[in-house]
Amino acid sequence: MKKVLVLFLAFFLPLGVFAADREVYVFNWSQYIDPAVLELFQKETGIEVKYSTFESNEAMFAKLKILKKNGYDVAFPSNYFVERMSRLGMLKPLDRTKLPNMKNLNQGLLDKPYDPDNAYSVPYLWGSSAIGVNAKVVDPAAVTSWDDLWNPAYKGKVLLMDDVRDVFAMSLRSLGYSGNETDPARIKEAYEKLLKLKPSVKVFNSDSPKQPFLNNEVVIGQIWGGEVYQANEENPDIRYIYPKEGATFWADNMVIPASARNMDHAHAFIDFMCRPGIAKMNCEYVGYATSNAKAQEMLDEKTRNHKAVYPDKADLDRGEFQTDVGDAIMTYEKYWELLKTQ
Amino acid sequence: MTRGSRFRNFAVGSPMLWIAVFVVVPYLIVVLFSFLTRDPEDIVSWTFTLENYRDIFSPVFLKVCRNSLVLALGTTALTLLLAYPFAYILTRIDENIRRFLLVLMIIPFWTSSLIRTYALIILFKANGLLNTFLLSTGLISEPLSILYTETAVFIGLVYTLLPFMILPLYASLLKLDRRLMEAARDLGATSRHVFFHIVLPLTLPGIIAGSTMVFLPALGLFYIPDLLGGARSMLIGNFIKNQFLTTSHWPLGSAASVVLTLLMVMLLVWFFISTRRAHSGDMEAVR
Repeated sequence: MKKVLVLFLAFFLPLGVFAADREVYVFNWSQYIDPAVLELFQKETGIEVKYSTFESNEAMFAKLKILKKNGYDVAFPSNYFVERMSRLGMLKPLDRTKLPNMKNLNQGLLDKPYDPDNAYSVPYLWGSSAIGVNAKVVDPAAVTSWDDLWNPAYKGKVLLMDDVRDVFAMSLRSLGYSGNETDPARIKEAYEKLLKLKPSVKVFNSDSPKQPFLNNEVVIGQIWGGEVYQANEENPDIRYIYPKEGATFWADNMVIPASARNMDHAHAFIDFMCRPGIAKMNCEYVGYATSNAKAQEMLDEKTRNHKAVYPDKADLDRGEFQTDVGDAIMTYEKYWELLKTQ
Repeated sequence: MTRGSRFRNFAVGSPMLWIAVFVVVPYLIVVLFSFLTRDPEDIVSWTFTLENYRDIFSPVFLKVCRNSLVLALGTTALTLLLAYPFAYILTRIDENIRRFLLVLMIIPFWTSSLIRTYALIILFKANGLLNTFLLSTGLISEPLSILYTETAVFIGLVYTLLPFMILPLYASLLKLDRRLMEAARDLGATSRHVFFHIVLPLTLPGIIAGSTMVFLPALGLFYIPDLLGGARSMLIGNFIKNQFLTTSHWPLGSAASVVLTLLMVMLLVWFFISTRRAHSGDMEAVR
């Protein structure tokens, strides 16, 4: 019996140690990667991917906050969480020499205010929220500005996102301020402008804003670009307009949490994800825009040129990425509650 | 220890353990958090405070509570009005049909209520089934606006919660002693009198049980009003969610949860007291 046990240990123990050595712990949004990519990575590098998922930035943040060591090697926060986490020392700086494939990325998405010089993060998938219209009812050429949502002609036919930051960013931009404003007076001004819009609003929806458009319940409103792309398969009359004040952009990013086990494996994984072929697999599987310029070129022409998904450089430059507004979020939420209870 | 008592301990102990670990402990954490301070750098900061309870009683929160209460009370009243005649008829018809109807009532539970709410959207939307049908029959010329109105919210809530009202009413009506009604009739009572003086008081426990089972979930539900009503107002559920997910103010969100729970506990206490009263009233009626 003892002999068997020793043999057993001799046989399996080193393997166990070896296995523990060759692992990378990845923490991503659910349904946000092509599973085949994980297999390819494992096959090529011999590093086993331990994959877990989350449903919200807040849940991910809470979990990373609790894990002090032996945590995840790679996580996927949204832009404004990258900023918050780097400020709180929850991220490790990236070693660019280990990420040669970053050269494939869309340069227009790098060095944004939420992470200057991409010291901590590599953009993965991204998109925008701007104005959607039903061209059957609203002339798309006549809509150029966020202010057009206030047009009394659309009373009772307007959709807003059910998200405090998205709605206030829109109002703030229309007043000529930044969507990341922290000045309480300006947030209040945006609230007062929104109060005038509230009677026109038919529905607040940020789960799937394309649905009320497709159901003919609304004719104008805020929408994600990717949703317009999907809606067009059913109804080509849903159009996407980048307002002259600029759209709001978001990106989900790969970062290395401070509690990472193995920096080399983390970098290897991130670099692998930046390969054009791999990025193409992921963006086709998930359905959002890839930050990888080389992968974008490999997509079919219709997708590659759909302005709702891949805006012109001018529209991208005019727009703004959401940043963490710190404690000003309390002011936003206060006015959001007032707006909702009016 | 005998086998029987060991089994009994296991049968009672394991669910109790389950509840203790997954209900009581998390809830105690909620109560604890409600006395701590918000910390944007961390989840909470370990400084004791009563501020959350002071902050919670703001005009906005009271308005949010009022919205939720109106919605829950309205839903309870509507379900009661619909369920009472149904349950009453259910007790008077042929047993086979009755069984069939009861099964029909249970069938929707095989699907998640979220999915069923989406199904209602398909029914009510401007280019949905109902409007298409009414337009094709020529009964209306413009699509009816049902989705994203209060009507849609009430339809959704009543539809989802109706069985919780019917079942206790049915149980209560089934126990009703028919002889008492016959006796009243013999003594010259009109149908109205029989209903208000005999049937209604005797089924009061069922009414209270059903109302509680509808009112309490209706108070906390927010996805049905959001999906069908267009999220234009804010309910307690939304308020709590925003404290956790938008402002990272876990202590305030916890305090709101505690207030909601206390509100429900108070209602339950009232429910027990009034049921007991109804039961003693019962005995008097028989005497």
